[in-house]
Amino acid sequence: MMEMVISIANLSYTYHDGTPALKGVSLDISRGESVGVIGPNGAGKTTLLLHLNGILMSNNGIVKILGIEARKENIKGIRRDVGLVFQDPDDQLFMPTVFDDVAFGPINMGYAEEEVRERVAQALEWVGMDGCEQRSPQHLSVGEKRRIAIATILSMSPQILVIDEPTANLDPRAKWELTVLLRGMSMTKIVASHDLEMIAALCKRTIILDDGKIVADDATRNIMSNIALLESHGLAPASRIIEPQDRGPLLNR
Amino acid sequence: MKHHPEIDKYAGLSSPIHNWDPRAKLIAILGLIVAIVLIPDLEIALVGLAIALTLALISRIPFSFMLKHMMWVIMFIAPLFVIVSLTPSGGIEHASLIAVKALAAVILIFPMIGTMRFDTTVKALERLKIPSKLVQMIMFAYRYIFVFSGEFQRMFTSLTSRGFRKRTNIYTLSTTGKLIGMLFVRSLDRSERVFNAMVSRGYEGNLKTLVDFEMHTADVLKAAILIAIAVALNVVCLTVV
Ligand SMILES: Nc1ncnc2c1ncn2[C@@H]1O[C@H](COP(=O)(O)OP(=O)(O)OP(=O)(O)O)[C@@H](O)[C@H]1O
Ligand SMILES: [Mg+2]
Repeated sequence: MMEMVISIANLSYTYHDGTPALKGVSLDISRGESVGVIGPNGAGKTTLLLHLNGILMSNNGIVKILGIEARKENIKGIRRDVGLVFQDPDDQLFMPTVFDDVAFGPINMGYAEEEVRERVAQALEWVGMDGCEQRSPQHLSVGEKRRIAIATILSMSPQILVIDEPTANLDPRAKWELTVLLRGMSMTKIVASHDLEMIAALCKRTIILDDGKIVADDATRNIMSNIALLESHGLAPASRIIEPQDRGPLLNR
Repeated sequence: MKHHPEIDKYAGLSSPIHNWDPRAKLIAILGLIVAIVLIPDLEIALVGLAIALTLALISRIPFSFMLKHMMWVIMFIAPLFVIVSLTPSGGIEHASLIAVKALAAVILIFPMIGTMRFDTTVKALERLKIPSKLVQMIMFAYRYIFVFSGEFQRMFTSLTSRGFRKRTNIYTLSTTGKLIGMLFVRSLDRSERVFNAMVSRGYEGNLKTLVDFEMHTADVLKAAILIAIAVALNVVCLTVV
């Protein structure tokens, strides 16, 4: 049996204003898996991801990371193991320069200066942004910001990479470049998105979340070919909406 | 994205002031500013102004750039000059003294923080043991002011595209008020998300950065010269009066 890196049992979460965002979610993910979490707007994807490194903690249900239950006492270790890339890169990149941003995690983890510099260089090289150390985030394009945002997490070398909407607002080229980049990362990955194409290219397994519940959990190829299932959760692929004569080769696969 | 004028636009030039250690530079020029503000004598103040101009010249920051950014200050100093020179306790001489000192102090801002990137300034402040909360506030203000102004602009554009026109009436005022309120709410949401991103990466209240500041003899020497000038300006006043 594979080692479970994430194990969620019967997790429910309600926001302060009474919005029930998760309703009894159970989920096991083993080491090295690449799992897509898809679902319509407001399904609870972000809320679920925020539980994976203890930003949100519910007293309803259990979240175990690498076999350890997420609690206040061990939150530091969990954040070391789970790297979370946020939906909006302007939230993720808060420091005045790219270098400071990518170095932020490693410095806080207590690495020596030499090691921090090495990690920053390595992470920026991985995402193809070496040479940008001294640029400031407000002057980067969205695609560049996403890469840097991922680098800020890679520099902490997490065992589990959690990414929220990595391809939002990207043009097709930037989107595919990023997909290829993520595909090359060998750690366990959890990717939330509406972008079925990217998920299909990146994840072997896909979960559909709708209205705070997991409504499907299967091999990506089974999910993507179950058009009725996708449609019933507001995820109809474009090929269903565009008339056959207008589809062109891309959608007629 | 609109271009915003930035104080550190000329940080990339090279001059004796640019390659001065940021900490020594901040302290020495700040010391000089304080010394100039304390000068009680117009002639000595003019010497101070000349020194400020010299430093600005050495820094190679274009005077046109400084002038553009000093417009607001000059617009503030000018009426002050008129008012003070007309009051009985003031007079032309007193008004000139205030104006000259203010001008010198403002000019010195440019060699002080216009000759290094703003993040370097922030890190220098941090290394000088300025309270961390204050340094973080300055840093985040600088990082997010453009994000927020962009957000405000987008909201405003969306209003205008739906027929809203700026006029001088209550409706315009109340709409703008609501807009600003929305901006506050959004800013609050954003600050919560940014905070989440920070704690996700191990933030525990202190901002830690790496810098390659190195204090050499030249840096100390430059600082010593400026501080000596600063002291001399005031000592001369004591002996003259
Ligand atoms: N801070 C909050 N306070 C109150 N309710 C919230 C908050 N954040 C999210 N919600 C609500 O919780 C539900 C789930 O939101 P969540 O952001 O997890 O959805 P999502 O699947 O990530 O959506 P999207 O695709 O738009 O990013 C939604 O109904 C949302 O309105
Ligand atoms: Mg979301």
